[in-house]
Amino acid sequence: MTADRSAGSDACPHTEYTDGRAPDAYPKTGAGATGVEGAIWDALATVQDPEMPVSVVDLGLIYDVSVDRSDGEGRDLRATIEMTLTYSGCPARDVLVHDVERAAATVPSVADVDVRLRYSPPWNVEMVTEDGRDALRRFGVSV
Amino acid sequence: MSESTQSAADPIATPGELTDRERAALEALLFRLADDEFVLAERYTEWQIYAPTLEADLALANVAQDEFGHARLWYDLLCELGYSEAELVWERPPEAWHHSTLVERPFPEGDWADVIVRSYLYDTAERIRLAALEDSAYLPLADRIRKVQQEERYHREHTETWLERLTVGEGRDRVAAAVDRLFPHALSLFAPGPRRADIEALGLRTEPIAEQRRSWLDTVVSVLESLDVSVPEPADASPSEAIGRNGCHTDAWDELHDAFTRTYHELGGPDPVSLRAGGGGRGR
Repeated sequence: MTADRSAGSDACPHTEYTDGRAPDAYPKTGAGATGVEGAIWDALATVQDPEMPVSVVDLGLIYDVSVDRSDGEGRDLRATIEMTLTYSGCPARDVLVHDVERAAATVPSVADVDVRLRYSPPWNVEMVTEDGRDALRRFGVSV
Repeated sequence: MSESTQSAADPIATPGELTDRERAALEALLFRLADDEFVLAERYTEWQIYAPTLEADLALANVAQDEFGHARLWYDLLCELGYSEAELVWERPPEAWHHSTLVERPFPEGDWADVIVRSYLYDTAERIRLAALEDSAYLPLADRIRKVQQEERYHREHTETWLERLTVGEGRDRVAAAVDRLFPHALSLFAPGPRRADIEALGLRTEPIAEQRRSWLDTVVSVLESLDVSVPEPADASPSEAIGRNGCHTDAWDELHDAFTRTYHELGGPDPVSLRAGGGGRGR
């Protein structure tokens, strides 16, 4: 795959469309997740990158979703989401973190959401899902 | 290192696990990384709309944004240790900044060769400095390194391409002059600080700074000489008292510090006045 950075597209100007390989187990899409975790993944799939009509899940930005049940299966669960950014200087960082937090908080049994930024493995364009690629192509990005 | 147990330092996963000694060493390491990136980015932005070509202008603006982003990564780690953004950037007195003087020097007017030489010396050093942090005992730091290295690769490509272009023909004189001028300041990148021994013994950095300096010199001297640009003898090029790392800076720093903190103070510090009447904030 080649990323064409000069075709005059509306691609996110802040994103490095770096070629690379997706590490094993990435991207994570929540496939197979059930219950509260599954509901959180579904909620995150509605969060779009502020600069491109692609969800943060399809971009491969979500690295982990977990729910703390140490206090039982009640309604006041604490969710932890680990995510990354396409680019370490991403100016949309606070918007993305906020949107992810709000989306996860819409799941009824989730009372508290902790979003943590992680940079390993480093994101690259190979971590975009097939659906994400289709969306990027429709948007005019050559992937 | 007196104890063999120190050779493979135990990984530290959270700020809460740091001993006082580890914390002091980590802070010293982070301030140097962050301040270098922040101040260099500040200087780069002065070239916006003035770079020699549109392409070069956009490239340097992107590099500046990357460096601001990297500064944010390191300042964020300091925030996790309890500092606020205001303490780290907007309210920190100039003498408490520990960046190398290389990054604070003003550009001679219109001298693009200065930008390229400065970037070349800096980015080559940064690659070596970051490589020694990939396996840092402080895991939140190690986690960020490969991402930054991925982005730095583009900076080096950009700079090295320009360095080759500028050293064909009359540009070489400008490059040579910039090397003479900047090299003593670049040496301060590797000036050891008071926490050097702890940073290394505690495994926060896995390569001694003296080794880093040696491998940086090997690279930059051979590359510049291959382009027919001579490099001063390091021993003869010792910088003055003002090496930045010790909080002692060149005159240019006060002016730059004043420029990027002025708006913060004019707007009333961490609780800025509202820019629109009736919009809340502190008002006047």
